[in-house]
Amino acid sequence: MKQGILNWTRRGVLGAGTALGLAMSLGLAGQAGAQTPPGVLIVGQIAEPKALDPAAVTAVNDFRILMNVYDGLVRYKSGTLEVEPALAESWEISEDGTTYTFKLREGVSFHDGSAFDAEAVKFNFDRMLKEDHPYHDTGPFPLAFFFSSVEEVTVVDPLTVEFQLNAPYAPFLSNLAYPTGLIVSPSAVEEYGADYDRHPSGTGPFTFAEWESNTHVILNANADYWDGAPELETVVFRPITDANTRTAEMLAGGIDLMVEVPPVALSEFEGDDFTVVEQAGPHVWFLILNAKEGPFAEKAVRQAANYAVNKTALVENVLEGTADVAAGPTPPAFAWAYNESLEPYPYDPEKAKELLAEAGMEAPEVTFYVTEGGSGMLDPVAMGTAIQADLEAVGFDVTIETYEWNTFLGEVNPGLEGKADMAEMAWMTNDPDTLPYLALRTDAWPDKGGFNSGYYSNPEVDELLEKARVSTSQEERASLYQEMQAIVQEDAPWVFVANWKQNAVTSSAVEDFALEPSFFLLLKDVVKN
Amino acid sequence: MQFLSLLLRNRLAAAGGVVLSLVLLLALVTPLLPLANPDVTDTANRFLMPGEQGHWLGTDHLGRDLLARLLHGTRLSLAVGFAAAFFAAFFGAAIGIIAGYFGGRTDNLIMRGVDMLMAFPYILLALAIVAALGPGLTNALIAVAAVNVPFFARNIRGVTVGLAHKEFVDAARLAGLGHTRIILTEILPNVIPVIVIAMSTTIGWMILETAGLSFLGLGSQPPQADLGSMLGEARGALITNPHTSVVPGAMILVIVMSINLLGDGVRDALDPRLRSGALTRPMPATRVERKGTIPAEGEGGAVLNLRQLQTQFHVKNRIYKAVGGVDLKVAPGECLGVIGESGSGKSVTALSVMGLVASPPGVITGGAVYFQGQDLVGAPYERLRALRGDKVAYIFQDPLATLHPLYKVGDQLVEAIRVHHPVSRSEARARAVALLKQVRIPNAESRIDSYPHEMSGGMRQRVGIAMALANDPEVIIADEPTTALDVTVQAQILSLLDDLRRERGLAIIFITHDFGVVAQLCDRVAVMYAGRIVETGPTAAVLRAPAHPYTSRLIACVPELGGGRRRLEAIPGLPPAVDRLEPGCAFAPRCLKASAACREGDIALEGPGARAVRCIHPEAELEEGVA
Amino acid sequence: MTGYILKRLLSAVPVLLGITVIVFLIMAMIPGDPALAILGAYATPENVAKINRDLGLDAPLVARYFIWLGNMLTGDFGTSFSLNRPVIDEVLDRFSATLLLAGTSFVLCSVLGIAAGVISAAKQYGWADKGITFAVLLGISIPSFFLGMMMILIFAVELRWFPVSGMKMAYGGGGFADVANHLVMPAFALAVVATGVVARLSRSAMLEVLRQDFIRTARAKGVREGRVVWGHALRAAMVSIIPVLGIQAGFVLSGAVYIEMVFQWPGVGRMLVDAILKRDILLVQGGVVFVAACYVLFNIAVDVAQSLLDPRIKT
Repeated sequence: MKQGILNWTRRGVLGAGTALGLAMSLGLAGQAGAQTPPGVLIVGQIAEPKALDPAAVTAVNDFRILMNVYDGLVRYKSGTLEVEPALAESWEISEDGTTYTFKLREGVSFHDGSAFDAEAVKFNFDRMLKEDHPYHDTGPFPLAFFFSSVEEVTVVDPLTVEFQLNAPYAPFLSNLAYPTGLIVSPSAVEEYGADYDRHPSGTGPFTFAEWESNTHVILNANADYWDGAPELETVVFRPITDANTRTAEMLAGGIDLMVEVPPVALSEFEGDDFTVVEQAGPHVWFLILNAKEGPFAEKAVRQAANYAVNKTALVENVLEGTADVAAGPTPPAFAWAYNESLEPYPYDPEKAKELLAEAGMEAPEVTFYVTEGGSGMLDPVAMGTAIQADLEAVGFDVTIETYEWNTFLGEVNPGLEGKADMAEMAWMTNDPDTLPYLALRTDAWPDKGGFNSGYYSNPEVDELLEKARVSTSQEERASLYQEMQAIVQEDAPWVFVANWKQNAVTSSAVEDFALEPSFFLLLKDVVKN
Repeated sequence: MQFLSLLLRNRLAAAGGVVLSLVLLLALVTPLLPLANPDVTDTANRFLMPGEQGHWLGTDHLGRDLLARLLHGTRLSLAVGFAAAFFAAFFGAAIGIIAGYFGGRTDNLIMRGVDMLMAFPYILLALAIVAALGPGLTNALIAVAAVNVPFFARNIRGVTVGLAHKEFVDAARLAGLGHTRIILTEILPNVIPVIVIAMSTTIGWMILETAGLSFLGLGSQPPQADLGSMLGEARGALITNPHTSVVPGAMILVIVMSINLLGDGVRDALDPRLRSGALTRPMPATRVERKGTIPAEGEGGAVLNLRQLQTQFHVKNRIYKAVGGVDLKVAPGECLGVIGESGSGKSVTALSVMGLVASPPGVITGGAVYFQGQDLVGAPYERLRALRGDKVAYIFQDPLATLHPLYKVGDQLVEAIRVHHPVSRSEARARAVALLKQVRIPNAESRIDSYPHEMSGGMRQRVGIAMALANDPEVIIADEPTTALDVTVQAQILSLLDDLRRERGLAIIFITHDFGVVAQLCDRVAVMYAGRIVETGPTAAVLRAPAHPYTSRLIACVPELGGGRRRLEAIPGLPPAVDRLEPGCAFAPRCLKASAACREGDIALEGPGARAVRCIHPEAELEEGVA
Repeated sequence: MTGYILKRLLSAVPVLLGITVIVFLIMAMIPGDPALAILGAYATPENVAKINRDLGLDAPLVARYFIWLGNMLTGDFGTSFSLNRPVIDEVLDRFSATLLLAGTSFVLCSVLGIAAGVISAAKQYGWADKGITFAVLLGISIPSFFLGMMMILIFAVELRWFPVSGMKMAYGGGGFADVANHLVMPAFALAVVATGVVARLSRSAMLEVLRQDFIRTARAKGVREGRVVWGHALRAAMVSIIPVLGIQAGFVLSGAVYIEMVFQWPGVGRMLVDAILKRDILLVQGGVVFVAACYVLFNIAVDVAQSLLDPRIKT
């Protein structure tokens, strides 16, 4: 029935435009939607890349290109978030966890022909970390703090490089696998200087061919790739910022692969012409609650909010199943560190009302910061609106204030005190340490340079996190993180809402495509017929 | 009141008004209607189709009732649109009046600022304002209003500058009134209609712009709906669920369209030019609606023969009988004068010949015009066109208005030739130079490249005559060709025309209100009054012994050449309105000799031989005139 | 004529200076920090301070204005931090795309609008007039972004007549036919509103002119009706149509922002919106000044065209 009416409406719209169409078809009835040639993959990106210098970018959108042009010393094993060798064949960690020695792969060269060696590795990290490095001015390098624990990089011999850390830092290897750790060609940096970000040169499976602003970035296959030549000849990344237009392009055959499909559009891609691919990732979507002042200073009220929000309805309906309900601060994608025993707060409005009554707050007034978009924020306005409705149903009086992403960050990152009680937020990270360490510790309050904008403070959590960070044993770290998750869930500094499942759609001509939990887009083995 | 009735007369505007009132009414009573709460989400029932589960228009992406959101959104969008228009008009008018009233440096400074703001693409200015103030419907309103202030300011300034130097303002100033007083009591009331017109034509635009900002997510904040944000939110589901986009989109369309219709109506009703009568364009040839039998040509010998010609103007439900059955004829080489006061129908008669009476409102309702024995009334347009300017040419009064201001006179002459004769451009140009020489224009070779505004009145009139002569016509109809000229030039032109008719044997119908001119040029004369001929005969005979009292009064108006200054006898009273002609003699109300019989029945145009008069108390017995 | 043009160009200088002040002040007023846009979620106060230092945003306002203005006068518009690219390169790239789109739309709206207005006036109260009046009313009442959305839905997704978005095919495109094909829908969607405005104005200007005596003169000469209308009358009506075309050029340029968003056209409008949102101050300032300068120049060109058309205007 629904399908029938749907078709009817669409035909109505079709009819309304036919007159216009006739007029236009007289002009140019060129045949659009011509299929792209085999071996050429056209990827619909969500935005224009900012730069093709891995040290200079922060956006997943840019990573999608970079991961195909560059390699790091290590990389994530396919389908996991565990590291495996890449440009480094092997490594050793000293007893105290402060010295990492990497053995480099032999015979690898950059796309510009220069050789990859220990000097190149040192050049990369010195460029990012040392203010007196001659090419430090090719920055800024916003994510350099990923490696702030690195004290010195030493060339032992051409194929051996040693990293000296100032303290044990467990996420170090994982950070090396992150795009910020990708290795660029020193000679290309020397040649192009500040223009390097438009003339990238790495060791990856694809070489850079062309970047036309707001039109495309084109990569060609690197036949000499050390890990085997890619199947594709050419990859074209097309920035299409508007999700709706991206969907339309996909439907019309203008692109072969589309990432971040809007949930409402998923139903369009049922059927044989398209394949929808999904992959849960290390993402968590939550609401920061202001634990310092206002109604959410009470733990019971924070828990009430967790009970009041119908997370299942959000992920099933607003997000059309593109996310799972989150149980705690750590996403299940970090399988080794995830606490399996945690159950999400159930949707229980009655319980929420009881908790509010106990706390003596029948109708707390709440200001809610909502963003219009932003990295990993999914459908923030719709989510915010639905959450507002859920909270009001149990007695909260919620006022939404919407901000464009950058303004939003400008309001939220310095802390919610005196402005708001609640704010949307989402993080995608590469290590279970990152998010809680930066956003849940007492020492991570905004005034101390962290992102704990809700002023949550629990000494127990602080201690667990510090301990996990310096441990070199994954098992020990796992149990520390699991304990932390249980405490944080009970304390409810956030409303835990969703873990996003990244999705993508490919046309039937594309084979062997898979998404990675890291949110990277790896195209080396993809085939386009 | 008059404004309202004018507005209602415009059916489209009325329709727009009705639709807009309905929308406004709906928006006003929205809170009272039994609607679902527009903000309550029901995500399980999202994207319901219209009609499903009691949702008349279906539900949106969060399962909210679209009808409820639509009505609440309409309420908000309308309020914002009107408010933005009001504020823009208020501040714009204030700035415009100040700049226009004080003038000088104040004006210069303000208008430079306005120029700067107008050099911005408005959307960027609006975006920047919203970015500076933060998102929100109020801020979007401020941005949209601010962006439109320069538009109003410039508009209102223009009007104010015109007013600031009017006598009543000077008078108020002399009376010692303060600036504020003058602006509020003298300037403002005169500017308000302009403000209202500008507002009515921009409200729709404001609603669109606000919707645009909301569409970009900079307007209303969730869950609040306005039409733009509804469209913006629905955009993500455009392909899967177009109805969620179509509903608010169609509503914007309906509102803006009805506002525009109404706005057009308001403009039409307030604009004085439009108020004085519909702004209509004349058709290529006068409309013909001949009733009754077509009179036969009768005796031949005339090149142009008008029989019982009737031309009327149909304006709304009034009928003006401008020409009420006129008989005229002119033979080759003959010059016929047609004389009468303005409004007597002489020009309309002349224009009717070639179907040049503006239509609407003109209609030829009866009679015939025989040119070389063939009736032109109701002839196909192409036939008329082929004769126009070729066989029958016109010379018009006031050549500044009748020559095209943007074409060189040479080009206008060349066109007149080439439209009827397939000659080359250079050949036509040579002929044009010859024509200009023929009408005694000095330096014809260089004058041919002048624009009309670069020539004197007499020169322009000569160009007009040259244009009429271009194709060596059989008949020239000259409609008061010398009225605007001074006496010496007039005399030159008259002698020029006289020479031409003698050399070329062309027939001239010369229309004038001046018996002196007729005396100089015309063989015969026909006197017209209220759309009819009241006396006709050889010029000399009529001049010597005018029979109709009106004719004698007209003759008395002429200062006799060489006779020194004589009392100019004006005719008391005004010609009658031709839409309310009383029976009997139309001149009776102004006639000293009028009797009761003059006001009854039709009086025939009778007389012996070439003379005839339409009068039962003629001034003189008619004798067969000799030219 | 040369003197007139020079005079007009000189008088544009203070306007342009004023524009630089306005855009600079507005950008200085906008809250939100470019550093945040660079650093994203990782913006700590120290990182932010460091980036601001790098970008020279810690200098006093007045000093920043004069540094910017001085650099601009030497042709240096600065570097966009969000794109890591000289502002002028980006602006020229994007402006040429906008010029193609807005220029095509402008030609479309002028030609179609004037034609519709002339036909409408010549056939006043006839069916053509009624049809055109209705279509025009529809055109000026429809939000262009809504129209664009519907066009994509119908002509690109359903009928596949035209490509959905972009300026050329992502791979192997860029030829004339390819770009033209991409141009059809956005240019049309952008032209609709302006066409309506031009048509309305042309109609009333033509009605005004057709009642003039010189039209009767032309008819009395036996000039064919087509030439009376399209030659004599239109030529005279152009005197009042051309200034409106000048204003419409500004509206087309503004409307291009929405159309560029909907159709992903790589134009300067979208660039400026993005730049405002990202607080890319130099890019916004440079872009706006450039666009405004072009607009001012265009208006001077309109005035010059006007004086060429109408010999009565003293230059």
